[in-house]
Amino acid sequence: MDQNLIRNFSIIAHIDHGKSTLADRLLQISGAVAERDLKEQILDDMDLERERGITIKASAVTLDMVVDGQTYMFNLIDTPGHVDFHYEVDRALAACDGALLVVDATQGVQAQTVANAFAAANNNLEIIPVINKIDLPGATPEDAALEVEHVLGISADNVQFVSAKTGLGVADLIQAIAKCLPPPKGDPAAPLQALIFDSEYNDYRGVICYLRVMNGTIRKGQKVLLMGRQRTHLVTELGKFRPQMAPCPQLAAGETGYLVASIKSLHDVTVGDTVTDAANPATQPLPGYQPPQHMVFCDFYPSSGETYDALREALERLSLNDASFSFIPQHSDALGPGFRCGFLGLLHMDIVQERLERECGVSVVQTAPSVTYEVVLHDGTTKRVESAGDLPDMGTIAELREPIVEVQIITPADAIGSIMQLAEQRRGEFKKQEYLSATRVMLTYEFPFNEILYDFYDKLKSVTRGYGTMDYHVTGYRAGDLVKLDILVNAIPVDALSLICHRSKAEARGRRFLIKLRRQIDRHQFEIALQAAIGSKVIARETIKPFRKNVTAKCYGGDVTRKRKLLEKQKEGKKRMKTIGRVDIPQKAFMTVLEPED
Amino acid sequence: MTTPYSCRALYVHVPFCRTLCGYCDFYSEVLRTEAVGPLVDALLRELDGYAARRTLAFDTIYVGGGTPTVLPPGQLGRLLGGVRAYADAGEQLEFTVEANPATVTDEVAGVLAGAGVNRVSLGAQSFEPAELRVLERRHRPEQVGETVAICQRFGIQRISLDLIFGIPGQTLASWRRSLEAALALRPEHVSTYGLTYEAETPLRRQRDAGVVTPVDPDLEADMYELALDMMPAAGLAHYEVSNFARAGAECRHNLRYWHNEPYVGLGPAAAGFVDEVRYKNVADTAAYVQAIAAGRSPWGEHEQLPPERRARETAMLELRLASGIDRGRFTERYGVDPTRLFAEAVERHGAAGLLSVDADGIRLTRAGFLVADTVIADFL
Ligand SMILES: Nc1nc2c(ncn2[C@@H]2O[C@H](COP(=O)(O)OP(=O)(O)OP(=O)(O)O)[C@@H](O)[C@H]2O)c(=O)[nH]1
Ligand code: SF4
Ligand SMILES: [Mg+2]
Repeated sequence: MDQNLIRNFSIIAHIDHGKSTLADRLLQISGAVAERDLKEQILDDMDLERERGITIKASAVTLDMVVDGQTYMFNLIDTPGHVDFHYEVDRALAACDGALLVVDATQGVQAQTVANAFAAANNNLEIIPVINKIDLPGATPEDAALEVEHVLGISADNVQFVSAKTGLGVADLIQAIAKCLPPPKGDPAAPLQALIFDSEYNDYRGVICYLRVMNGTIRKGQKVLLMGRQRTHLVTELGKFRPQMAPCPQLAAGETGYLVASIKSLHDVTVGDTVTDAANPATQPLPGYQPPQHMVFCDFYPSSGETYDALREALERLSLNDASFSFIPQHSDALGPGFRCGFLGLLHMDIVQERLERECGVSVVQTAPSVTYEVVLHDGTTKRVESAGDLPDMGTIAELREPIVEVQIITPADAIGSIMQLAEQRRGEFKKQEYLSATRVMLTYEFPFNEILYDFYDKLKSVTRGYGTMDYHVTGYRAGDLVKLDILVNAIPVDALSLICHRSKAEARGRRFLIKLRRQIDRHQFEIALQAAIGSKVIARETIKPFRKNVTAKCYGGDVTRKRKLLEKQKEGKKRMKTIGRVDIPQKAFMTVLEPED
Repeated sequence: MTTPYSCRALYVHVPFCRTLCGYCDFYSEVLRTEAVGPLVDALLRELDGYAARRTLAFDTIYVGGGTPTVLPPGQLGRLLGGVRAYADAGEQLEFTVEANPATVTDEVAGVLAGAGVNRVSLGAQSFEPAELRVLERRHRPEQVGETVAICQRFGIQRISLDLIFGIPGQTLASWRRSLEAALALRPEHVSTYGLTYEAETPLRRQRDAGVVTPVDPDLEADMYELALDMMPAAGLAHYEVSNFARAGAECRHNLRYWHNEPYVGLGPAAAGFVDEVRYKNVADTAAYVQAIAAGRSPWGEHEQLPPERRARETAMLELRLASGIDRGRFTERYGVDPTRLFAEAVERHGAAGLLSVDADGIRLTRAGFLVADTVIADFL
């Protein structure tokens, strides 16, 4: 293949701006997918993606596209828009020479538009702005184009206006991809250097590595070396996603495809590693990636009906095809043995939990997610804790530091006042304000991460009538006047319910927390006392009165099955609980902290 | 053809009422006279179908609903006579019909007595006008006594009264008044039900919308305990979670349910338990009538439990009875002594004073009856 006819590009955008739909059109026009096999967002092939209507994992696909009588090879990567999966975008960009920056013409530039555009610029990629959804009645394509120019500094000259849904403008876009995006550089005769930019697990083939060949040529049957791991493998299959896996004998510099080399587990490859020839290795590996950072942590414990071993097996099985979460054994005084798990964000945490239950059939008790704190002890040592329950004795702590995030908020200008108020409640520190247009503003703030983790985004949505969007990244740690709030159930401290919060908020937080907790726990045959305490000082208390009566009045012929099922369901429900002392605490109670503060 | 069980019990569901009550989740609709003839045809034809494949000899028949006594007397007579034909002549027949106050005229009572009905179960529910209004019951309190009198005048001596406690607005004192008023009519049998807010009933929607406020659960417990005290003092022993009777006047038909014995169920939404299969007919009168007319099965759903689950189901049901799980019979039926099968639950709840065990049976104590669901769940 003539290298000049290859285009490697990612499709990047804010969530829901139409990346996957645009990919559909390109697939359709190239003829890669037969008309009868077309469906919406065809590259979103995981069940969870289809159910939630979002892209979770980046997908690469190779298309033969005829432009002015020439057949080009388009290697495109559709990326996720959600902030939790931003690392997928970074990975994809490193395998590309250009990017389509999609912007919804009814929404304009949004927080992840900015974040993704900067990421593409950092990778020195050529960017084509694509204003999408111009078929919608509320679309203001010119305004969106101006915002792109104004905010992102990307010239509006080669902006493309399209409707990914109807296909309008997509032919011109294809022209622009061929004309404006650069072909790959790289020498097919040089020693092999190929970047593993993603990997996935397949029950039949084992690990499938997504490759971008930078220099040299890789061939089937070749013995290759993974430079980071220093392990050699025999290439058993090479191919391209079209979008089905289509084997081919070789991949040359500039091409994108996949590699199979009988690798058993995702943990045996590092995404970002460089593949080279074992006999004639490259002198230098490619730059590679920073491993994705786990932003939030929570514990999974087997619920009453499950065993620790079943949970461990399920986590191991799941990590075979999702290497982006971590788990290490953990012991809770209240909940027994379980796992401390690290995630990229709350959506990622939700998804892992859902897959555990759905794909592996184990039900778990999950504790509320926490950010990572830095603890400086009086003896000068520093350590990180990922949950309040892990804090050492408060007397030994010299300083407690919390993670700080920089947050970009894009909002209609008339909501600035409400956002300022919200930020103040959350200990936010204003940094700067830039106008995107006469009516839209980008605000930059610093927040303690903990303050925006749970319900901040919902609050932002509500004060901006749905128009506000945000993006964040961790910038460092800062000492704060933080305390540990202990929660006791019938005088037993429940480490999994304890939390870290700012001293000024502890009392109110404790009181509200207990009221919410009381609603989650059913009456028992005995009285239950709930307490919130800082150290030995109880700051709030609630009681749950015992029930005296729990009996179904009627059970005649017609009710037998129903009654049995009801009791069985009740029992099932109990399995999803944890018993502390003699108190059954439902899974939901451990997440009580997450409920909106009202 | 031989049958594994002799089917001695028959239930007939009449899905019509004069008006519908807001708390009710039985399958019933407002009476449409023109629908009655085809329904009675279908009921009798469904029964013939069961009879064609086995010998039926009922010694308990229970006609419920709905409100069977709202049927036009001629149709009611045809239905009762038709099912009566399958009664076992040699046995002492218990033949119950459910009725609501003010639905039993002299003519209806004559039809009942003429068909051999010897027991009437009357939905009194409350003797307080305000409480009857909350329940959307259309009768006046004094009509309960009038209806009892009519039945007795026609020779139907066995009277059961239904009462409900936990009605929004009810107090312990008003509940006591209803219990006293019921006992004053000298029924041989009383059922007291705690009001439940069943899914998709108007009352449930009113509760969810905050229009009605359920009584405090502690008060409801007091009400239940008041019935547990007052009934036996008046000579009606507590024999099932919600049922009280004079010695020998227990409802034999319902006892069959609680001993998990077979019965034929007829009519839309009726459940039955025949040849080890538990079934439920479609809950739609038109669809039911059509299925029967076309010679199709009216079953909407059915299940057959494996032996161990059936044993557990029997335990669930028998624990509702004051006599409890009959160890001898249980062992005979399922080949395992219930104290072994349920060793853990028996031990734990026994220690907590909720169960008592002796050579004959496993029973709930009084404290146990109050939390029967908690205890019984551990037997499933
Ligand atoms: N009217 C109209 N709707 C569109 C267009 N493009 C996409 N959509 C709709 O916008 C929604 C989001 O489209 P997707 O293609 O899933 O967006 P995405 O950017 O891939 O979303 P994520 O991967 O979750 O970030 C879907 O309901 C699409 O049908 C368009 O040009 N016009
Ligand atoms: S009369 Fe009885 S069956 Fe009819 S609606 Fe009222 S409670 Fe339900
Ligand atoms: Mg997508």
